[in-house]
Amino acid sequence: MTALPFSSVEELAGGLRQHLYLPDRGLATSIYLALSLDKPLLLEGEAGVGKTEVAKVLAEMLGRELIRLQCYEGIDASQALYEWDYSRQLLAIRASDAASAAAIDLFGPQFLVERPLLAACHAGSGAVLLIDELDRADDEFEAFLLEVLAEFAVTIPEIGRIAAQAPPAVIITSNRTRDLHDALKRRCLYHWIDHPSLEREVEIVRVRAPHVAEPLAREVAQAVARLRNMEVAKRPGVAETIDWSNSLAFLGAPHLDNEAAEATLGAVIKDHEDFEYVRRHIDDVVEDDAGRG
Amino acid sequence: MPAGDDYAHLVGFGRELRARGLPVGTGRILNFCRAAGVLAPVDRRSLYWSGRATLISRPEDIELFDNAFGAYFGRSELDETMSSLFDWLDRTHAPAGETTIEGADTGAVAGFAEAEEVAGDTATRMVASGTEMLRDKSFDTLTEEERNHAALLIRHLKLSVPLRTARRLRPSVKARRFDLPRTLRSSLRTQGEPFRRAYRDRRRKIRPLVLVLDVSGSMSAYSRALMQFAFAAISAGQKVEVFCFGTRLTRVTRALRTRDPDAALGEVAATVQDWDGGTRIGESLRGLLDEYGQHVALRRAVVVLCSDGLDRGDPDVLAAQMARLGRLAWRVIWVNPLKGSPLYQPLARGMAAALPHIDVFLPGHNVASLEALGRVLAE
Repeated sequence: MTALPFSSVEELAGGLRQHLYLPDRGLATSIYLALSLDKPLLLEGEAGVGKTEVAKVLAEMLGRELIRLQCYEGIDASQALYEWDYSRQLLAIRASDAASAAAIDLFGPQFLVERPLLAACHAGSGAVLLIDELDRADDEFEAFLLEVLAEFAVTIPEIGRIAAQAPPAVIITSNRTRDLHDALKRRCLYHWIDHPSLEREVEIVRVRAPHVAEPLAREVAQAVARLRNMEVAKRPGVAETIDWSNSLAFLGAPHLDNEAAEATLGAVIKDHEDFEYVRRHIDDVVEDDAGRG
Repeated sequence: MPAGDDYAHLVGFGRELRARGLPVGTGRILNFCRAAGVLAPVDRRSLYWSGRATLISRPEDIELFDNAFGAYFGRSELDETMSSLFDWLDRTHAPAGETTIEGADTGAVAGFAEAEEVAGDTATRMVASGTEMLRDKSFDTLTEEERNHAALLIRHLKLSVPLRTARRLRPSVKARRFDLPRTLRSSLRTQGEPFRRAYRDRRRKIRPLVLVLDVSGSMSAYSRALMQFAFAAISAGQKVEVFCFGTRLTRVTRALRTRDPDAALGEVAATVQDWDGGTRIGESLRGLLDEYGQHVALRRAVVVLCSDGLDRGDPDVLAAQMARLGRLAWRVIWVNPLKGSPLYQPLARGMAAALPHIDVFLPGHNVASLEALGRVLAE
């Protein structure tokens, strides 16, 4: 077990706060447990609730390197683990004459392109490994990942085994576009990140966008909370709340009124049908008399 | 650190969850105990969150977990944290009471399924000469025996959905893209001369098939047939998702995977509410798109909708949702049994609203037309 710079959930939560991330109790507990038990933490939740941010802030707080593996459909071992630089190998062969060709180690480390998982094996506990949007990758990739996560050791036939001294902290995020395999879930701690409560969201906006005045931040957070309860296909996340507050503050709007809301709606609603719908119901989103007088 | 008795207590909670149907293995329980050990001394809140982090890994299971936690450790000061959870659950899940329906309604369908089980043997003995006639007979005029035979015919349809190209490449003999790594590797065997040149090509993947079936009163005979159709597709190795709707949407894929179609329909009867409450296609589609719009099953899929198009909802809603579906799916096929009649014209408001967003419009009222549907799918 790696020595951690904090000894309780509260201390961890305090540390995250200092780095401008405001976790709730459940998330802080999950992170604390994941670090203490050396287990990957699987974070699920709607888009924009700050899943990826957890890894970034954690790396910053622990002073570790952040290694990010962005998953996508069709990702395979050569994009996640390592790849040989074939063009350079070919050039090396061409550039050398017949006598010295034998001397080049064609499969030596200088021709190896290191990808995130191999980098994480090298860095070991000096890194935070973020495996982002794992639900986008194929099932086969998940099985492969399971193998790497179990050992944090990679065997390259031409070079040998590269193993991490101590495993890195691992954060896996998923938008839940499909269910991840149970075998993987069993290996991880799990936390579902929900949209924050109103108070917390106001606080998050204040921390992330300090130039936004408190009344405006509150009005925006309230409006976003109402938007989430409306029949929109894509519910806005915390990132959108921050964007919206920023846009309004940038335009110098002291309050969220109908006009300002319509002008900046693009910061929070990013689907054409939703946009039209919300524009028609803008009165339900903006409480015009709130915070006046 | 918790004492031995405490651990026994914790293990007991894991077993309690298992008894309530959650897949809690020994590994998870072990993690739970470790987590509690790390957080010791544990208060209720830490215990709750360490359980949440270790024992479950699906948001759907949270409600069950909360109930079990409350029952096992007693309900007290936890309520404050829990209330925010319940808010969330209320928004995403309908209350349990809403999804069950009155016994009278299920009776009709369950009885139907039973009758068919009894008649099961006779169906297989039916002579082939009747088959041709049966193929052209509309589903709602079939007798029990004919229905069984038709079910067999449908289940033996050979179905395939066209493949889509995936991003990944695989070795190929057809010259599509040059494969430098492989060429180079094999050239090492021939002193660096690339005698053997390798090529690769895009992989192909199964395109998902999604069936959305109207199970309101007038449509149930046809939907049953399509349920058999879904079975044929599943056994042909296709990726299939099946949803049923009357006024609400229900996902029945899971039921179809584990049981025979009749039992599955019985299960649908138990979960779908008000069979005769009329059809709200637009609302149901919105439910489908909101919940599964981001799901891989729907994206670039072949979507087959089966409904008579007699929508009691707002046609504008239906048109908007069909447009959304059209953008998300690869192909939208509407199966309308009424189209089996030569006199039929799609004049019903709902149907007219949906028509511009449909790629293929088919009847699907008898075995022959389902065969035609199979051919359309393969195109």
